[in-house]
Amino acid sequence: MKNKKQSSFFETLYHHKDRLWSMVWFLGMLLLFIWDMLYLNRPALLKVIDGAMNTFLIAFLVIVFALFIAWLAVNLLFIIRRKGFFVLETVLTFLIDIIRSIPQIIGILLGFVFIAGLLYRNIIQSPMAILLTAVLIAFFVFQELMDLMLDRVNHFRRLDFYQAMTVCGISGSRILNYHILWKNSRRHIFNKVVAIFGVAVFLQCSVDFIISVGLSTDISSMDLPVTLGGLLAHIDSKQDILAIGHAITNPGYFPNLFFKHLQGISVAFSIVFSLLCIYKISNGLSERFRL
Amino acid sequence: MNAWKFQITINANSFCIARIEDFTIQPNRILLLFGESGIGKTMLSKAVYGLLDTEELQVEINGYPYSKYAGSEFVQKIQSTGFFVFQEPSSHLNPVLKIGDQLSEGILGHGQIAEQDKELLWKSPVDKTFDNLQDIYPQPFRPSGGEKQRLLLTMAMRKLNLYLQSEQTEQSGLFVFDEPSGSLDDELRNRFLNLLLQKFTQKPFTCLIITHDYSIIGEIYRKYQQIVSRFDFKELYKDEDKLAVRPFEAGAYLNWISGVKGSQSSIKANGQPVLQFGNRFRVFNRSMGIFKDKGYQQPVDLIIHSGEIVYLKAASGVGKTTLAKIIMGLYRSDHFNMNLAGLSVSEKTSAKVWLKKIWGHKAGMVFQHADEALDLQADVYHIFKGLPGIRINRKVLIQELQRLFENRIDAAFLKKKVLFLSGGQKQRLNLLRVILLNTDLMILDEPLNGLDFNSIRKTLEIIRQEQQKGRAILIISHNEEIFDSFIEQDRIYYLAALKD
Repeated sequence: MKNKKQSSFFETLYHHKDRLWSMVWFLGMLLLFIWDMLYLNRPALLKVIDGAMNTFLIAFLVIVFALFIAWLAVNLLFIIRRKGFFVLETVLTFLIDIIRSIPQIIGILLGFVFIAGLLYRNIIQSPMAILLTAVLIAFFVFQELMDLMLDRVNHFRRLDFYQAMTVCGISGSRILNYHILWKNSRRHIFNKVVAIFGVAVFLQCSVDFIISVGLSTDISSMDLPVTLGGLLAHIDSKQDILAIGHAITNPGYFPNLFFKHLQGISVAFSIVFSLLCIYKISNGLSERFRL
Repeated sequence: MNAWKFQITINANSFCIARIEDFTIQPNRILLLFGESGIGKTMLSKAVYGLLDTEELQVEINGYPYSKYAGSEFVQKIQSTGFFVFQEPSSHLNPVLKIGDQLSEGILGHGQIAEQDKELLWKSPVDKTFDNLQDIYPQPFRPSGGEKQRLLLTMAMRKLNLYLQSEQTEQSGLFVFDEPSGSLDDELRNRFLNLLLQKFTQKPFTCLIITHDYSIIGEIYRKYQQIVSRFDFKELYKDEDKLAVRPFEAGAYLNWISGVKGSQSSIKANGQPVLQFGNRFRVFNRSMGIFKDKGYQQPVDLIIHSGEIVYLKAASGVGKTTLAKIIMGLYRSDHFNMNLAGLSVSEKTSAKVWLKKIWGHKAGMVFQHADEALDLQADVYHIFKGLPGIRINRKVLIQELQRLFENRIDAAFLKKKVLFLSGGQKQRLNLLRVILLNTDLMILDEPLNGLDFNSIRKTLEIIRQEQQKGRAILIISHNEEIFDSFIEQDRIYYLAALKD
């Protein structure tokens, strides 16, 4: 009986790639944490933990804000279209298209400058900076979610499904939010949210890397929250990453990477491994939900 | 020849989705298989024909794994000398191959398209549609549903001609017609039946016709008495956790239909009509007219009073549903006028009027395909939530559902996902949603779609009750035999295109 249960558990993991990769991600990060506890010095360990926590917290907040902004935009567009306010629709679409036309990384870089300015003038403190960073990134990624939601809405609007409910007098808001978005699109939305989580990790690491590069280890760029990207840009980590190149040409040096260069390796591994796992989870979800 | 007996089990992801212990097809006879939609008629016939997808389904037939059954000599024979006409003609036609080439593809090329077949199915030589279709691709030209259906029937006839020309005395093929009249009006349906039975009389073959069209029974008994004994009328039904087949009493249907005629309502119209729709309208660059005579002589206004049922007839594809959608404001007509429960409406009327005054208040509409009209992901209770002007609680809903489902409803039913209901159950929910609204006008587009015989009887009872409550009802249906009996002749209107 026990064997049967075990095989069914592994069978489930094999067929549900999203679950398999969630577990791989969790176990990989746990293993890294244990290794770092054993071999990384305490100040560096605290920095890595702090960076990872901030990175994933910001990414989580990004999806919350992106969901909210996308939902708001879809509802607004839906109401405006239903009521036939064509001018308002054009204005709103135009504004969204302007945001869409700004390259995400440029927009977020400029936003970081703005947040740094607020921090410099002591208008906000570090926790608020985390929130603002998340809002900023959400502002440049919400269109992906919004486009998905609008696609779903447009798909259902063409079907009898929508018309049949409409002629029964069921309110547009209920049809949109309960029937289309919740009942018929939540899997699609969830899958997109997972992908956006990965995008958020990637974007903040990239931007933080760019603005932190060249700063010494003890200087943080305008007291912005420490993220994995920022840590990677610091001199210690950069030397650790360069050591990987050295190990490739001198294989005998390879074991040292896991002891002498642990800070940079841990940070780089966390970023790359997380992005890989998130990508696989998202693909697994698409496969499982047949999206 | 011995009967073909099948014991079939179909599982999907370890869930049993269909199981039947005795599915029998008698060779050289015609089996008419009825049953509510979604119960599994198509799936069973595809299983027998060796067409199920083994990547998604785990199938076992007569104790053999499906791969072994599908590769057996028996299946090779029924496929190579038979034909399967699919329910959805679009899925049968190859979109990137000319229709003419598809009609001659493979073994079909060895058979003849007899002039008689063309005449009966395509009204040739008056109608040149068939010849015009030869040189086009199914997409993007998109023949109409009726044309596609007739193309498939033409293919089947070609295959049958091959068998008729052969020297075989016993036919080992199986001809399956899955809803062959789904997109045909009664006249074309009868032409198809005539053709099929002429060939059957010439030399019998094994035929399975899956249908919801009970009026086919009337046609057979009226015109083909001499071969009625070669038919098996059967009904597929759910017996607890498995499927079963029982004989369908054709006599019961025939008695019932004559009883329906006698029950025509005697409610007399009075007062202002609930709906008065102008006799002409223009939509999609076509002018349409409404008539009371079959000769389409003089267009008349479509008028429905309180407590009246009106039946709107037209050939398939003419625009009955389009008219219903214009009344409901879902399609914009270039030109029309109507009065709906005291409200004057024309093409100039703002969409807000429908939103605020008509939808769910003055009029409601039942769409023809319950599968497309209901949110399949929602549970039964939530289908009825949000209806305007009604406070639906579970107790009231159960009572209302019991009217339509004959006391078989409990609280657990309300939690069921619509996706998992049978086609007949979905259709009844589709109907009930509009009945509950209590609007002045109720438009029912194919209200009997997908229903089994008992459900049809129940549904007609409910429609009659709603009429007696004083509601104005407009019915659109291709089920002519039933509604011609159910509704008085002077309450029947015809829709036709006008020459510009």
